[in-house]
Amino acid sequence: MARSLAGFLVLLLVISICEAASLFQPISDSHRSAALELFTLDHGSFKSLEETYEALRTFQILGIEKKPDVTSAACRSISETVGSSSSTPKDLFYALKANSIAQCKIHEKASKGIISSLNAAVSGASSLLDFYYSVGGLVLIKDQSSNADIHLADAEGVFRSVKAFSQSDGRWRYSSNNPESSAFAAGIALETLAGIVSLASSELDQSLISTLRNDVSKLFDSIEKYDDGTLYFDDKLVDGREYQGPLSTTSSVLRGLTAFAAVTTGNINLPGDKILGLAKFFLGIGVPGDAKDFFYQIDALACLESNRVSIPLILSLSSAVISVTKKDSLKVRVTTVLGSNAPPLTVKLVGAFSSGSKDASLVESQELKFDQGSGLHILNDLPESIDVGSYTFVFEVVLQEPEDEKVYVTGSQTKAPIFVTGLIKIENSEIAVLDSDLGSVESQNKLDLAGKNAVSLSANHLQKLRLSFQLSTPRGRAFKPHQTFLKLRHESKVEHIFVVGNSGKKFEVVLNFLGLVEKFYYLSGKYDMELTVGDAAMENSLLVAIGHIELDLPEAPEKAPRPPLQPVDPYSRYGPKAEITHIFRAPEKRPPQELSLAFLGLTILPLLGFLIGLLRLGVNMKNFPTKPVPATFAILFHVGIGAVLLLYMFFWLKLDLFQTLKVVSLLGVFLVFVGHRTLSHLAAASAKLKSA
Amino acid sequence: MRSLSFFFVFLLSLFPILCFSFNPESPTDRRVLVLLDDFSLKSSHSIFFNSLKSRGLNLDFKLSDDPSLSLQRYGQYLYDALIIFSPSTEKFGGSLDLAAVIDFVDSGHDLILAADSTASDLIKNIATECGVDFDEDSSAMVIDHKSYAISGTEGEHTLIVSDDFIQSDAILGETKIEAPVLFKGIAHSVNAANSLVLKVLSASPSAYSANPESKLLSPPLLTGSAISLVSVVQARNNARIMITGSLDLFSNRLLRTAVQKSGSQDKYDKSGNELFVTEISKWVFHERGHLKAVNLRHLRVGETDEPAMYRIKDDLKFSVEIYEWSGKSWEPYVADDVQVQFYMMSPYVLKTLSTNGKGLYHASFKVPDVYGVFQFKVDYHRLGYASLSLSKQIPVRPFRHNEYERFITTAFPYYGASFTMMAGFFIFSILFLYNK
Repeated sequence: MARSLAGFLVLLLVISICEAASLFQPISDSHRSAALELFTLDHGSFKSLEETYEALRTFQILGIEKKPDVTSAACRSISETVGSSSSTPKDLFYALKANSIAQCKIHEKASKGIISSLNAAVSGASSLLDFYYSVGGLVLIKDQSSNADIHLADAEGVFRSVKAFSQSDGRWRYSSNNPESSAFAAGIALETLAGIVSLASSELDQSLISTLRNDVSKLFDSIEKYDDGTLYFDDKLVDGREYQGPLSTTSSVLRGLTAFAAVTTGNINLPGDKILGLAKFFLGIGVPGDAKDFFYQIDALACLESNRVSIPLILSLSSAVISVTKKDSLKVRVTTVLGSNAPPLTVKLVGAFSSGSKDASLVESQELKFDQGSGLHILNDLPESIDVGSYTFVFEVVLQEPEDEKVYVTGSQTKAPIFVTGLIKIENSEIAVLDSDLGSVESQNKLDLAGKNAVSLSANHLQKLRLSFQLSTPRGRAFKPHQTFLKLRHESKVEHIFVVGNSGKKFEVVLNFLGLVEKFYYLSGKYDMELTVGDAAMENSLLVAIGHIELDLPEAPEKAPRPPLQPVDPYSRYGPKAEITHIFRAPEKRPPQELSLAFLGLTILPLLGFLIGLLRLGVNMKNFPTKPVPATFAILFHVGIGAVLLLYMFFWLKLDLFQTLKVVSLLGVFLVFVGHRTLSHLAAASAKLKSA
Repeated sequence: MRSLSFFFVFLLSLFPILCFSFNPESPTDRRVLVLLDDFSLKSSHSIFFNSLKSRGLNLDFKLSDDPSLSLQRYGQYLYDALIIFSPSTEKFGGSLDLAAVIDFVDSGHDLILAADSTASDLIKNIATECGVDFDEDSSAMVIDHKSYAISGTEGEHTLIVSDDFIQSDAILGETKIEAPVLFKGIAHSVNAANSLVLKVLSASPSAYSANPESKLLSPPLLTGSAISLVSVVQARNNARIMITGSLDLFSNRLLRTAVQKSGSQDKYDKSGNELFVTEISKWVFHERGHLKAVNLRHLRVGETDEPAMYRIKDDLKFSVEIYEWSGKSWEPYVADDVQVQFYMMSPYVLKTLSTNGKGLYHASFKVPDVYGVFQFKVDYHRLGYASLSLSKQIPVRPFRHNEYERFITTAFPYYGASFTMMAGFFIFSILFLYNK
């Protein structure tokens, strides 16, 4: 429980911060639009009759006109459930509950059948929930069919057997063999007993009712409380199975209390503060996002709206922010939790305190004017003593008719946080560079903080920068905003922020650069200056660029701190990279083709010269062998030489070394053979010639 | 027989787990663990949770101090993603702790972390590990006196509005978020040394982080646009993280509030929060911006088979197919900035690929005249998209001896000289032998 309690507390805290401390808004249109979103149809109908009832009931309470039309689908499943003999009391209960809103026609015979089966269920019931469903079912039938005469035979006996589940602390057990008591069960029990009372044919024993009243007040003694005054019921989490959570538990108790109060004549004595605390609990939740929670909240608020114990009235502000400059008036509305009008009453402003201080009230007690048309209580002019700032206003609601005081509960005093805002006057703003030792002004510039400024200053580390301005409220008093920053931003995006201090109305900051060089990381260069003045109460909060200052700071010593890393702009980090193309090695330079061909021609010239020389010499072939065999060898020898040369030609054109060598080796052998024969023949012929 | 049927039932019960587990072919997360301080958050943040459920995610709600809390069993992760909506938790229950959360992210899973003014050290430490530093002052909130939401109940200017979104369709979707986003919570800054963190939603220049209740004596640590309201991280293993200082950002209340920015006449019936949190959660759960590259191919021009090796100065064609996961299927990814590198120690060629609009990217270029072992590299890093990094090794050889030019005109005089010489020799050899 502690866990969920803490969690709920967090949630409530979050909400209460948003909803401005302890002020609660009644149910509004945001609930209505949320209801339409939460209760959505699944194929034209709701999933179960229970859900149908919850949806219809919520729409009914909130007065939603444009609800989805489910009546025909709901009626079909209601009559199915009612007509079926196998329906459990729980099914019948929810069918009848849904029918109480859907208003379908239930067959006379079916209705008789249900009465008898529910009656049987009452007499055979052994646990609290059995009683709850069966008695509840009978009550619903009685309400729906005017002519049916339904009575519990032994109302007092049933009453006692239900009462047997009660515990001394006002909580109830689910059944006699379950020792755990719970507040949720207490709510159910109260509702059941209220049903029994209304079904009883004769008046029940008054002592029974009065002990029950005691139980109720004991139950309310165990109520739990948050810091902001909201109250709720919660059960101890034991096994988690029957644990319901504070919302449904509190809702159940309220439903039981309302039903019980409706059937008993006497007054149930409960302090109005507790009812108010419960109302605040339900309003403080905001808009639940779960259909079930939503129903619990709305149903409980409807119970609060119409119960006989006391009806809480909620004070709400139409706006917690009031502008002095626009002469806004303070508007207060007092309504019931569901937002309907309250009875005639007067609202008094009894005190106003500056938040954070515990001084005496700033205002006299005064009554707010009631505007009949809008239903608002209005204070047109704020008292002179209220200047801009945040305040806590204390209101008191007084009912005009003494009769109403029995019906309604208003709470003694309501505290509301109020923010009074206004336009702040800014004057005498100027910026100057001072010489350090003499304090003489070197250059001074007036600033217009409401408009644009483009001051251009320059300073070195021996000088000072002074920025000053005056702020005063619309009522002419000194004003100290929450945010007064002077920001200096270097070109490299390193930022330095200084808080501008004040004395009275005058704000001044003096930057002595000599003491700041280290903080500035010795970064010389252009600094952009920006002044921010802002406050919750200031309507003209400003963020102005003043201009820039050119700082000339000394060189950084070696051990000076480096400026912090600045985040890189994500867009530049991710762009596509520049394309790279490979630069190929340039081919070597060659002479023009014509030149090569010309030289090719030149190389033929020696051969031509050789041939011409041979012709000139008068060469002949007279030595060629004349006999056929040596002549054949001689021809073969020269053909062989020609073949070798031709082979060189082919080697150049296409053959590789290995192919060439192969052929050369064959030709070589052939050449040696024929060469030897030819040469030896020639040698023999020349020897013969010599000898001859 | 009974044991057999038992086994069958066991297999059947395993079936959904097998189906829903993460696989690279459908990268959307399926199983999400939601850690809450309190179950009432289920109701107060139901619109966000319902939108997740309607997109097919299985949300498992647990209290953050649940003693049975565990992210993995038998070395297998039970969840694909983690949502931590329990800002005030000092210590998680069960086996979960800071190291377990970081391990979870390090193994490629996703995380949404929301803090608020009650943020505990544990939550802040998780954020720090992810490269995001929350304001150290625990009472500080983001205040903005210039761009706050005008409201009847709120006068402290801590409910601020921001529309300074990151420019990325991958993260925030293609629909422009018209209405500003409401924010109420604490400030954080992104670590400048961490290049993976991105500011998705930044505060306005007039914002600052301070305690609204007390007077400011020293300058606040975080001011202006340096304040990040929502940041995301995309880790190198494509794990995605979203961190924000406002749990209310996701709440029904802020999702449904009408919003008007101070000093502006534009009124919106609904804040931009719903669209913002829906779109960013789509990104975090890999329903968008998740890329895959397949069929990396390269060919010599004019051939059809992929060669095992290129020769210098070959002309080649490179192609790769890139698809984006749309949450349901792989759709062709269209961009004009995908680049390929032909890489050996450094890129020799870096070329932007042209696309046919159907996911195929191609380029053709000439192999450089440097031989060695090269790589085709596609390193695609784009804002918000999963990074692609794939490479394929390919050797490049020089010319063979017979691949050089054979008949060079410049050499013809030499050849001519040789051949005339040979012709002369032939004639001379005949005449020398038979002349008389």
